[in-house]
Amino acid sequence: MGVFHRGVRNAFRNTVRSASVIFILALSICMALIMFMSLKTVQTKIDSVKSSIGNIVTVSPAGIRGFEGGGQLLTSENVKTVSEINNVTKVVSVLNDRVNNGTDTNLQSAIEAGNFGNRQGNRQFRTNDSSNTAINNSITQRTFTPPIQIVATSDLSNTASLNVAQFEITSGTLFDVNTSDNVALVGKDLATKNSLNVDSTFQAYSKDIKVVGIYDTGNAFTNSSLVVPLVTLQNLSDQSGLISEMVVQTSSIDSVGSVANDIKTALGNSADVVSQQDNSNSAIAPLQNIKTISLYGLIGSLVAGSIIILLTIVMIVRERRQEIGVLKAIGASNALVITQFSVESLVLTLTSSVLGILLGIVLSNPILNVLVNNSTSSTTPSGPGGGGGREFARLGAGIINGSTNSIRNLHNVIGIDIILYGLLAAIAIALIGSAIPSYMIAKVRPAEVLRSE
Amino acid sequence: MLSVKNLCKEFKSGEHKVLAVNNLNMEVPDGIFASIIGRSGSGKSTLLSMLGALDKPTSGEIIVDNTDIAKMGDRKLIKYRRDKIGFVFQSYNLVPNLTAIENVMLPMEFAGMNKNAQESRASKLLKSVGLTEDKYLRRPKRLSGGEQQRVAIARALANKPKLILADEPTGNLDSSTGSIIIKLLKNLAKSEGTTIIAVTHDIGIANQAEKTFTLKDGKLTN
Repeated sequence: MGVFHRGVRNAFRNTVRSASVIFILALSICMALIMFMSLKTVQTKIDSVKSSIGNIVTVSPAGIRGFEGGGQLLTSENVKTVSEINNVTKVVSVLNDRVNNGTDTNLQSAIEAGNFGNRQGNRQFRTNDSSNTAINNSITQRTFTPPIQIVATSDLSNTASLNVAQFEITSGTLFDVNTSDNVALVGKDLATKNSLNVDSTFQAYSKDIKVVGIYDTGNAFTNSSLVVPLVTLQNLSDQSGLISEMVVQTSSIDSVGSVANDIKTALGNSADVVSQQDNSNSAIAPLQNIKTISLYGLIGSLVAGSIIILLTIVMIVRERRQEIGVLKAIGASNALVITQFSVESLVLTLTSSVLGILLGIVLSNPILNVLVNNSTSSTTPSGPGGGGGREFARLGAGIINGSTNSIRNLHNVIGIDIILYGLLAAIAIALIGSAIPSYMIAKVRPAEVLRSE
Repeated sequence: MLSVKNLCKEFKSGEHKVLAVNNLNMEVPDGIFASIIGRSGSGKSTLLSMLGALDKPTSGEIIVDNTDIAKMGDRKLIKYRRDKIGFVFQSYNLVPNLTAIENVMLPMEFAGMNKNAQESRASKLLKSVGLTEDKYLRRPKRLSGGEQQRVAIARALANKPKLILADEPTGNLDSSTGSIIIKLLKNLAKSEGTTIIAVTHDIGIANQAEKTFTLKDGKLTN
């Protein structure tokens, strides 16, 4: 019989004690495993929420939202200032404009005005003619034609700057973003409406514009728009060196908040800065609570497990002091006796870990649900921050509502990696639990076997 | 030949020092049955523990096979105890959750012998000490005191030691079983060529020894 066989047999020498130790240790390992799984699940969720928000900060001229409000556009100097801020990896300049059929362009919008468009159009008409209320009151309903949106960007690959989720060229090619040529990419609906193909031309700003490509964004509004080079639009619209939006990309999701603050400091009151950091924090707050509880729970369970096995082995060593003396007297080395007791400790913890893993599989999701319910009820996420662009405000609200609901649907997934971690934790607990007893064993002198006679 | 020269062992008791073995000299020829007698506290067990390398002397020499074990390092002492010494204790000190045969195999396992050889020699030894085969697989608590001491003697002989040290080997046995055990030890000393040194209070046992050392206050009186 080898030292391992003896260690295994010794582990079950006192059946009642071994069963009690295994059960208590199994509970501790089960808790450690559940806390570890919860930690992992919550961290994955946090990463998912953060990545869904993205590492983008949007800078708009102060007081301007799309084509509403009023104020001064941003300048190329502003772009340079923002580019030099720490953790800013890219700044994409955007200029938006719109042209009306008849006065500015020969193109017809692919979007029907409908009730909404007509109501908005007539409201604007009345507002513009408010100096003469008599005339204003006598106006009959007019047919409104929606204007055609034009977007110019310094980076066509940056879909955020185009305010779209996808941007696919269906025919033709992209233009060089640095060109000042009068070229354009046309949305597929606008192209169809106006019978435009690649190499066709249309009129805008009293100039001939050549179509170099047709695109599809999967979105009716942007498929009825134009995309032109930034310099071209600045020249055509007499807004040289000006932009209506900066899309700032940061080095990481975690630096979004600090970059947004630095931009606010650098540009002062001349710009409105919108990041999703605040929304992200609100969405993540309950998850952070669960993460903290799980982390402390994990540490506590591992410490408790180590103490349980430590005290058990210390008790066993004290009980078998004479036996250790006998083993040493008949030729066993310290290393051999320590190995035997370590095997005993390992058998107890591995048996406990198997039981703990099984308990963990059964109890992990109910316990995670309790953690989630407690955390989400004590943390109420705030609404979307004021001052943001409409698109982002909508996005922020979606993230918060979606995240809070999906937090309640968190599920621990028990994979082979979790089981391996459980077994590794058991081995770690066994080794920690054997450290002090090993020292005690090494200190037992073989002469004690005679002293105890 | 076991030779002890100027052996001293000092213990600290609070602030006082106690000389348990005091400048002791003795020689024990190979293959004899010798006894050490003396009252409690005379230093018998201390002497035995030093002869068996269970404890280190404060000063002096213990020469076994021309080697001074008092000067050996810990690793060599483990090997010495394993290969040269066999112990028989008053309360047998068998490992309780091992069977009789497993207890006898234990020192052979420590010496690195293969399992078949261990089993074969353990069976032979148990037979030679008179344990019936049906008790080989019994654990110590299912054996009588005499049977446990037989197993302990078989275990002491496992690695064919030069020296068997017996500490009150009959102390927990009735007189008839005790005399059987002493007879067994004497016969083994003859047949295996092993030197046996037994510590005892029992004058009857001491009288059966070929050489007797009497200890008083850590010194030999004869």
